[in-house]
Amino acid sequence: MAVQESAAQLSMTLKVQEYPTLKVPYETLNKRFRAAQKNIDRETSHVTMVVAELEKTLSSCPAVDSVVSLLDGVVEKLSVLKRKAVESIQAEDESAKLCKRRIEHLKEHSSDQPAAASLWKRKRMDRMMVEHLLRCGYYNTAVKLARQSGIETRTEALQPGRGEPAGRGPAGHGHAGLPARHTHLPLQGPAGPGPVEDANPAVPVRQLPAAPAGEQLRVHPHPAGGPLGHQDSCYKEDGSSRSPDCPVCSRSLNKLAQPLPMAHCANSRLVCKISGDVMNENNPPMMLPNGYVYGYNSLLSIRQDDKVVCPRTKEVFHFSQAEKVYIM
Amino acid sequence: MEPCESVEREVDKVLQKFLTYGQHCEQSLEELLRYVGQLRAELASAALQGTPLSATLSLVMSQCCRKIKDTVQKLASDHKDIHSSVSRVGKAIDRNFDSEVCGVVSDAVWDSREKQQQTLQMAIVEHLYQQGMLSVAEELCQESTLNVDLDFKQPFLELNRILEALHKHDLGPALEWAISHRQRLLELNSSLEFKLHRLYFIHLLAGGPDKQLEALSYARHFQPFARLHQREIQVMMGSLVYLRLGLEKSPYCHLLDTSHWAEICETFTRDACSLLGLSVESPLSVSFASGCVALPVLMNIKAVIEQRQCTGVWSHKDELPIEIELGMKCWYHSVFACPILRQQTSDSNPPIKLICGHVISRDALNKLINGGKLKCPYCPMEQNPADGKRIIF
Repeated sequence: MAVQESAAQLSMTLKVQEYPTLKVPYETLNKRFRAAQKNIDRETSHVTMVVAELEKTLSSCPAVDSVVSLLDGVVEKLSVLKRKAVESIQAEDESAKLCKRRIEHLKEHSSDQPAAASLWKRKRMDRMMVEHLLRCGYYNTAVKLARQSGIETRTEALQPGRGEPAGRGPAGHGHAGLPARHTHLPLQGPAGPGPVEDANPAVPVRQLPAAPAGEQLRVHPHPAGGPLGHQDSCYKEDGSSRSPDCPVCSRSLNKLAQPLPMAHCANSRLVCKISGDVMNENNPPMMLPNGYVYGYNSLLSIRQDDKVVCPRTKEVFHFSQAEKVYIM
Repeated sequence: MEPCESVEREVDKVLQKFLTYGQHCEQSLEELLRYVGQLRAELASAALQGTPLSATLSLVMSQCCRKIKDTVQKLASDHKDIHSSVSRVGKAIDRNFDSEVCGVVSDAVWDSREKQQQTLQMAIVEHLYQQGMLSVAEELCQESTLNVDLDFKQPFLELNRILEALHKHDLGPALEWAISHRQRLLELNSSLEFKLHRLYFIHLLAGGPDKQLEALSYARHFQPFARLHQREIQVMMGSLVYLRLGLEKSPYCHLLDTSHWAEICETFTRDACSLLGLSVESPLSVSFASGCVALPVLMNIKAVIEQRQCTGVWSHKDELPIEIELGMKCWYHSVFACPILRQQTSDSNPPIKLICGHVISRDALNKLINGGKLKCPYCPMEQNPADGKRIIF
């Protein structure tokens, strides 16, 4: 991969990016816990009620038959309690296990095997894209991408027709109990050709992260326009300094990156136009008489019969005419 | 690792608690049901005999009632106790992860939202094509009503077709492609064609002694590469000796390594992309990755700026406040920073080479002019300002 990310850097980024990844299943866990508690409390009170009735009857010398029938009632309520308790606990446990699975996936980023780490990075990108696509309302694409990238289990049965409508509520609208804290980031405009009506907010957002994450894909190319050395060379009129590898020089990103701030470079970094290699003491920059500078090694490699042809102006010079320049 | 680990610890605790609670709950309720069942049986037999409720039975019954009440209430309160562990998970997440990705980007950037959205979707489509996820790209085009012209798609479709064949160990399409682009590949100093022939030859060898004649006759394809790849050709011809014994047991067994296939896919992708003027990694993934690196750094510095209340430092407009290290592979363009003014040079302020060979920016040069003469700041050589030559990196 072109961009070097050390384990420490990945960790830092994780802190910043993955909040929704963990928070959403946590909220589900919380919700299920509360539901379980409610169920248990309700059934417990039913049992207590029936038992109280039995006690009352006992204190007034009852017929055995009535005691037996009341006891049957108690048995029934106890069985209901047992069933409901087991179900609720299962549900809570499931959501706790989901949390665990997500954490384990996140931990993969620092795996010792380089293949695992780069797979993780690729999945990260796909995850962000899926979230972005969902926010845009491109539900089918998101599902296809999730399936193809093998992250489908994470999105856990996205229900059809419940994708996120573009133009979701204003700031403050809850996402599974999460306030949308994204006042700094622009929200989408009114709904586009989204396939959905306003779905019950609580349901789809089990999987959909809080708004900030959905914005992350857009936020990322932002800072990127910066550090990638977005500078004049990517925007020259005649496209003369375009580099095929530079992302900012590519069609779409060129337009996106234009309004972004430039990267900050305090030190010179020189790259030879011929070879793409860095120019430093090992490959000193040499100036041809027309003012164009290339690396010494590259000039050697294009030298023929002691002459060199400037690749950019096609002028021919003697090799000896190249002068060394000193960059501090 | 640390943030994940602390959250994981809490989740593990919760899981453990659920487990023990679940077991305990089931057990005690079952026990209770059994006990009540027994009692009921006794009572039923008493009912049958028509005897009234005995005092002992009555006592036992009331004890049973108490027991039931106690058990179920305890179950309810035990479950409630788990709440603190559950909320600790939430707190661990809040503590270790930042909930806001805020204020790093100025809002003004996304002003023409509609157009920006379109461009971004386009970038995503391009990325998907480059990754070979053609069906997903098609779906996105449909859903977002974007039109991608065929000329753009075409090379990716072809590349993908060839790569798929390579994955199935079919060298045919790749060879066809390499031969048709031979000239341009040679200009790039690519040895793709030779490698493909080589792999095919090895593939024949793996077929055993019957394939010997076929392998030998295929070897004539090596002829044009004889000069550049002499050694490798020798190795391959040498391996023919062991064909009958079986290559796996010979000193040439390394030729049968499966990593060659992975390598050929990579070589092909790299060379094909160079030929098409594309980068191997899609622009979107490189920018995304650099955004990932930049985001925490910028957020940190934003926090520091706010803490120290010197908000003027970063105006969001011109330049990022600090440098972000992305590694040398990301140096796509030359950057010259004038050592004197510590600013990047540009078209309006280009780098100038002085007679002594030192390079400074034009603004710096103008500042150093003293009485029509110029003294180089690095070597005290006097010169005429007009002798400075503009250079282009």
